[in-house]
Amino acid sequence: MAIFIGSIILLIQDKSPIDTFSLMLRLSVGSVNSLSASLNKAIPLILAGLGISIINSVKLWNIGAEGQIFLGAIAVNFIYINTQINSPSIHIFVLLVAGFVGGSLCILIPAITKVVFGVNEIITTLLTNYIVFGVTIFLINGPWKDPKSLNFPAAAYVGEEVFLPTIIGKLSFGFLICILFTILAHYLKNKSVFGFEMRIAGGSAMTAVYAGINAKQKAFIAMLIGGGFAGLAGAIELLSQTHRVSTGISQGFGYTAIIVAAITGMRPLGIFLVGSLFGALSIGGSVIQTIGVSAYIADIIQASTLFGALIIQFFFTYQIKKVEND
Amino acid sequence: MIDIQLIGLLNATLQAATLLFIAALGELITEKSGILNLGVEGMISIGAVAGFMTAINTENIFLAILIGVLSSSIFASIHALVTVVLKQDQTVSGLILTILGLALSSLLGKNYVGRKLVTKLESVTSISEPTNIVEVLISQNIIFYIAVLLMISTSLILKKTMFGRRLEAVGEDSKSSDSMGLKVAKTQFIATCVGGAFAGLSGVYLTLSYVPYWTDNMTSGRGWIALALVIFGGWKPYRTALGAVLFGFLEALVPRLQTYGFELSPYIVKITPYVITILVLVILTIYKGGKTGAPKNIGVPFFRENR
Repeated sequence: MAIFIGSIILLIQDKSPIDTFSLMLRLSVGSVNSLSASLNKAIPLILAGLGISIINSVKLWNIGAEGQIFLGAIAVNFIYINTQINSPSIHIFVLLVAGFVGGSLCILIPAITKVVFGVNEIITTLLTNYIVFGVTIFLINGPWKDPKSLNFPAAAYVGEEVFLPTIIGKLSFGFLICILFTILAHYLKNKSVFGFEMRIAGGSAMTAVYAGINAKQKAFIAMLIGGGFAGLAGAIELLSQTHRVSTGISQGFGYTAIIVAAITGMRPLGIFLVGSLFGALSIGGSVIQTIGVSAYIADIIQASTLFGALIIQFFFTYQIKKVEND
Repeated sequence: MIDIQLIGLLNATLQAATLLFIAALGELITEKSGILNLGVEGMISIGAVAGFMTAINTENIFLAILIGVLSSSIFASIHALVTVVLKQDQTVSGLILTILGLALSSLLGKNYVGRKLVTKLESVTSISEPTNIVEVLISQNIIFYIAVLLMISTSLILKKTMFGRRLEAVGEDSKSSDSMGLKVAKTQFIATCVGGAFAGLSGVYLTLSYVPYWTDNMTSGRGWIALALVIFGGWKPYRTALGAVLFGFLEALVPRLQTYGFELSPYIVKITPYVITILVLVILTIYKGGKTGAPKNIGVPFFRENR
């Protein structure tokens, strides 16, 4: 359906759909370099998506991944400025932990207001996005402003010693972290005792009481872990892509991650696959601009794919079955 | 004597508030029926671009308003189809609607970037530079007065009419409503489309009057503020309007801070509305023991078969 809609739009603009799609395919997965670019783009989507899926285990939504990504990056820069560590590998590790903690801090207020007062978390996590984004703009225009970056407000670059190494081509080391955390999230959600307790806490309040599970505590911990995943995404983005705090740390990754998590039914392994696909789609979308096709078409294709996925889900859930009568 | 700058601030506050309020009021109606639509940002963009294109091509301002409102309403019906008819997740569908709306409006408006509007939406009276409060109030354009009218009528419709009571019943308890013979799906579908129409009107206000040109992503997060406003207002039209004036005031204040000689960073001022909203939410929840005024069935799809 998505390809159909995309083709119509392309035809209206006098561009050959087949050429465009094959170009998109070639430039997103056709070579080591383009494939690694696609997977790099997938890292924040996957990590933030995993965080959202963990929080969803207790039947809560996290719309605040975008803010958590930014605060993760801010935390990394804060620690980078204020600490002195000689060993690069330990330094990078400390900074990644800082990113995780930053993401957790970002969701701390929504988590407290949810658990203590019962304030709707969809709204509070959404609002924190704007607060953190405002703080980011404040920092890069004020205290952290790099005098060398004249027209584009941004913080100073971090030193090369803390750049994340690459594995193959341009593929960042972050992708290995991503694989590790996918397995971790899968284990946490589906195999661990905590995951089981989370599902009960989210599923039925009464069952949780009878089983002696502290539902509020589980919800609180799940939110902090989930926020941390998104914060880690921000840390990796800073250390491997932008190398400095700017508004470019996230291009709506936090919002796309919600969709990635939701259409896979919150399954970690599915998030890994679909997240990679989305990374490729967005790289494909940005390169087709060079042949004069508007980048919005990639967004439109993406959105129609998603609506298509929702509609298909409906028909899978509610199949008409023929029942034999005697 | 009232400072002329103060009058300017008041004027800008009202305009910013109008824009936010209409979209928020639409979302309020949608949410009252139990449907959460996070696609406000996308719907405003669609209304904005459709209205602007019509205004450029036909130079007929009323046709432009009409087309803007209708196209947003039709666009919102995608959300209604996916969530009401096909019972899919409302959060996800709303977010996709935002992405689709922003991309589609950018694509449609590509050839209109930088074009100048010949017929702008003018004030209803001939006062172009208001000098006192009364003049500010009577010199707004037609959509401002429509917004005031919509506020009063929505409040009345929700409280006093059969349709309003049914809408609320569906949002509070769709299962009981269905037992009572109310048409849940139909009510929710209509409420979602009405919400879209209001967002469209807000979009038309944006491109035909507030900033009379078209650029990409010109809604710049106003749709999300509208969503926050509904909660701020506790799902009540008048309180939502009060919130809109507060948010509008802060939006109008930011560019003027320096002229008043304040050293406060404009970036910090910009985040205060969001902080205030969270605080208000917490206070409301504590005082009312969890009753923030939110419809009970919001975000919950209704399955007649599971009743």
